[in-house]
This record gives sequence, structure tokens and C-alpha cells, in this order.
Amino acid sequence: MERAIAGSPASPGIVIGPVHLLRWEVPEVRHAVVDAADVPREIARLHEALAATRQRLLVVRARAEAHAGPEEAAIFDVQLSILEDVELLSRIEGLIRQNIVAEKAVDLVLLEWRQSFARHAQPMIRERERDLVDLHIRLLSVLLDLPDHDPVDLAPGAGAILVTHDLTPSLTVQFDRSAIAAIATDEGTRTSHVAILARSLGMPAIVGLRDATTRLRGGELAVLDGTSGMLIVNPTPAEVKQYRQRAVREATAAEELAREAKGEAVTADGVRIVVRANVDLPEEAEQAATSGAEGVGLFRTEFLVVGRPTMPDEEEQLRAYRRVAETFAGRPVVIRTYDIGGDKLPVGGYPTEANPFLGWRAIRMCLDQPELFKVQLRALLRAGLAGDVRVMLPLVVTVDEVRRTRALLHEAAAELEAAGVPFKRDLPLGVMIETPAAAIAADTLVKDVSFFSIGTNDLVQYTLAVDRGNANLSSRFTPLHPAVLRLIARVAEVGAAHGIEVAVCGEMASEPLMAFALVGLGLRHLSVSAASVARVKRVLRGVTESLAAEAAHGAMCASTADEATHFLRQRLRAAFSDRELAALGLPGIRVSDAAAGAG
Amino acid sequence: MTAERIIVVKNRAGIHARPAAELVKTAARFASEITIARDDVEVNGKSIMGVMMLAAEQGAELILRARGPDADAALDALVLVVDSKFGES
Repeated sequence: MERAIAGSPASPGIVIGPVHLLRWEVPEVRHAVVDAADVPREIARLHEALAATRQRLLVVRARAEAHAGPEEAAIFDVQLSILEDVELLSRIEGLIRQNIVAEKAVDLVLLEWRQSFARHAQPMIRERERDLVDLHIRLLSVLLDLPDHDPVDLAPGAGAILVTHDLTPSLTVQFDRSAIAAIATDEGTRTSHVAILARSLGMPAIVGLRDATTRLRGGELAVLDGTSGMLIVNPTPAEVKQYRQRAVREATAAEELAREAKGEAVTADGVRIVVRANVDLPEEAEQAATSGAEGVGLFRTEFLVVGRPTMPDEEEQLRAYRRVAETFAGRPVVIRTYDIGGDKLPVGGYPTEANPFLGWRAIRMCLDQPELFKVQLRALLRAGLAGDVRVMLPLVVTVDEVRRTRALLHEAAAELEAAGVPFKRDLPLGVMIETPAAAIAADTLVKDVSFFSIGTNDLVQYTLAVDRGNANLSSRFTPLHPAVLRLIARVAEVGAAHGIEVAVCGEMASEPLMAFALVGLGLRHLSVSAASVARVKRVLRGVTESLAAEAAHGAMCASTADEATHFLRQRLRAAFSDRELAALGLPGIRVSDAAAGAG
Repeated sequence: MTAERIIVVKNRAGIHARPAAELVKTAARFASEITIARDDVEVNGKSIMGVMMLAAEQGAELILRARGPDADAALDALVLVVDSKFGES
């Protein structure tokens, strides 16, 4: 076996620890019959397995409640109820009485139930198949006496590297950070859910390892290098020593950065750049505030919906929004309305779509369900009293969507007024620019909004027609493609001409090289992951705006993303030494054949 | 003793997983056999999977049937749970 497995770096840092393999797959069961005399024994085995699974779920439920809250833990209540289902029990027992071994009886009945759920006309029921899959895995693992890979068994302080195929919400909510020190997944790219989560938690991670779960056995020692994207299995003592030293060096560099995080970012020629943070969960707000962020440029609200059995009410939303607004005491907090659909299906009757990223999602879904949307808008208006709350709409392609939202905001305000509930009138309303349509026709939007915020993840995906979740395409997901740079420049220009704020809130802004390019394209507001605030400020303080503008122009005129990258790196080299570039996570320039002609 | 009631689902989200669990939990407190029917599908009222499969949305009409010593009391309790919208809106 190769000892080094390469993936995509998703969250920086080095962890040396035991591999905790989480195989969340339904095990295969062979058909076997038992003698009539053994039927009572098989039925007893079934009942033992049901009891053991129930115990397990109670533990998991308690863990989830402690780590993620009672609302998240409710997933497991449904599973517990299914486990106690009288029909389920009588059907499995029925098969055992026909001399089928217990595990096969469980397998057959669950497959049958799963099929009828998966094929149900109602999407709400189809969604629940996931719960049956979880139970299918749990029951069979007990009956087949397979090792239980559930992360609940890890002792606090284990410092394990969690290796799994993909991180699902029912796994994420169990997360105990004192036991799991790093994450590695077969699936995913830098911009998928697991990578964003890891970065916001400051947890080293690698994604896109393709087949790590099949190559590992679990329990072996490994080194996870989230900076280079390498997972080294069974390292030699010399390698462990080398990585320990590097970990110390990186930690020292991180401390140094943290000292620079405070204060404003002003370029060497005096241009002020505002650096804000992206926030996924209200609990992250404090960490973001201490990271030196000057407000929140993107507060995602999907956590309120994803994996939940019911929609959050107005009060629950208000608590979440208020908490973030108060943490940033008077500094801007840009809250994005639900960006649900596509890969983040909420609860309730929503259709499965052939092409979810081009489907009924985000602002489209919200405007088509005004009663649901208005609950969020009312909560936002009320949260406005707690700070500088601004409202941002995702996936806008036409100004009509802005106008309809504004009308709903007026309705929501009238409802609050009628009920005598205090709220802030006239919250700034802005849009995400994340489709080529919105970027090219930014001038048709600009008069109706208070700000633009460029969401680079989706803008790259829609412009280049590259699925950002597809690990096979990760090398083709190139934010520095000239088409993307030109669209960004266009939006910056329109915003400047009309005097409105233009920000970039996608993952792109978190990369020092890209932040440099964005300032060169005319951006003065960046929103980055909390972990990147200090590094972005450092790179901006070290360059002049005129150098950035010259570099960005060159990158825009390049014919490929590789050429653009090469050009930007060369210009950045004029401002920093090799050592400084390495400290920024930008090692020396490798002149590849493809890029050789560009400089 | 047998009893039968017709009810209409009132909560907005319909009988999804959590309300189904609540319904089943209530049904399980009674000795009577309980079924819930919608159009031509009839399921065991004590089976969460059966109740979920009905996919009863807001406005759906359901027939509750009970047979046993506490049939009336069982249906009273179930109607109360549905009418209280399972604590939802």
C-alpha cells in the first residue's frame, strides 16, 4: 500500500493521530436459513439487536444534543420511533419464522421499506429514507458483530483523524471536537460543506481523497497535513519528528499572524480595504470577532433548516441573528436569506430535481413561498434593532426578484407594526452576484440595491459550468479563469459608478493571492473565513494598490487560469521575499510549461 | 367495541415525521386496534412508518378506526393530538 494519499487541502494545519475510520455503508448480508428449532434463538437475537441499537441511539442523541442543540438532536427521535415500530418488528419476526436468519430478515424488510419510501410520490417521505438507511446500518452492524465506527465511542482527547466517505448532517451533529482533531473525506472539494465547516472550526482537513476509506483499516497512526493535502499512513519516526517540527513552526507563524490581525488593512500606498468574516453558525461569531474581522460579510442561514424535521420559527431565527449582530456591536452584519435547495434540501415537501443547481432554490424558492419567507424577513427586521443588520438575497438574476422581496419586507414590517412588535425599518437590502446574468447585467440591478456581494463559488461554477462538488473536476474549478476575473471587474465598475459597496464573499477572497487580485480588480471589501482574516490583512498591507491593479490587469488579459496565476505570483514576488510568501501559504513559484510564456 | 371518526389535518406542515411519531405514541397507549385510512390506503395507527406513508398534508381527510375495549377513549385522544396541530402552526 502506498503510504501517502493525496487529496485537496481543505483546512490548514498538521495533526498526528490515530485514524478513526467511519464506514457508513450498509454491510452485505448473505442469505442463510436456520432450523425450525433455532427460530426462537434468532428472534431473541433480533430483540437484543433492537435493544442495543436503541441504547446506541440514546447515546448518540445525547451527544448530538450536547454538541449541536436539541433541535439538531431531533433527527434521532424519528429514528428511535421507527426502531420501536410494531409493523417493522412483526414483519421481521414473520420472516424469521419462515426460517430466515435474523440479519437477512432485517435486511429484506428494511430494503423493502426503504424502497417504498424512496419511491413515494411525496418528497417529504423520500427524504426520510436516510433515517431508514441509518437504522439499516446500525441494526446489521450489531447483528453481524461488525466494529461500530460511530464517532461517539472516541474518548475525549483522543485527537483522532476522522476518515469517512462524506460527512452527512447526521454525522456532523455528533462531532466532539475534543475527540476528533482532523477530518479527511473521499468526496468533496475545497468549497463543499465539509471543507467550509472544517475551516470555520479551525480544524485541519483534507477532502477529495477518493478511496482513502477503502485503503485504510482504522487505528493506524497517520499524519494529516491540511496545508499540502497529504495523508501519510504509518509514518516513520523520522517523518513524525519532521512533521512535529513543522507543526510547531506553523503554530508560531499563526501566533505571529494573530498579533497582526487587529487593526485596519491599508495598502502600502494608503488604500483602505475592509476585511469581514464569513460565518456559518451563530456560535462562530465570537471566534470571527476575535480574528480581527470588521463585521460579517456573509452570515449563512442554512444551518437553521438543513437536516431539521421542522422549519425554525421566528423566535429561533431572531435569537440566532441577534446573537451575531450583538457580537459585532454596531459593525455591519450581512445576513443572507435562505440559500436552500440544490445540495441543501430542507424539510417538507420539496421536489427532487434532475438539475438542482439550476433549479428551484434560494430566492426563487423563497419568493414562491411568501409565508415561509416572511417568517425569516420578520426575524431579520426585528434583529435589526440589535446592530447594523443588512439583508442579502442569493441567486438573483433579475431586478424583479429584488422588488418582490422589498414588497414582502414592507408586508412583514406592516405585520410587525400591527402586532406592536418593535423592529428596525429600512434595513439595507443587497444582492449576491453569483450568476453570469447578474454580473453582466449588474447595471439593471444597481439602482434597486444598497450593495453587491460577489459569491465567487457559485459564480465560478455557473460561469465555467463546473460542478464545485465534483472531486473529478477540482482541477477545472479555477477562480482565476479570465472569464471570472472579467465578470468581477465588470461588477466592481458598475458598483463604483453608482457609489454602492461591492464586496466579495466567496471562498476566493480567503486566498492571499486571490485577495491581491481582487483588490487589483477594484474591490475594497472582502469577506473571508475567520481563519484567513490575518493572512489576508498581511498580504494587503504588504502591497500597493497600483501593483495589484497592474497584476490584475495582466491576469485578466491572460488566456488561461494557469497563466493568470503565474502572472499574479510573479507580481506578488515583487512585494515579498520567498520566506514571507511561504509564511502566507504561497511557496515559491513553479514555472510550469503551460505558464512559462505568460510572465 | 368499535369506533370511527373523520378528521382533517390542520397543521401547515402536515403529518411529517415528528407528528407521526406523536400520533403513534398516543395510539400505543391504548389496547384497542387502531387504523388510519386515507382514500383506499389503510395503515396500522401504531406504526410510524405506516402513518408516514400516508403523507397526509394540511387539509387531508383521514378516517380513524379503533376496535377494542378502549376504542372511544383512543380516538378521543388521537383527535385531540391532531386538532392541537401537534404543537405546530
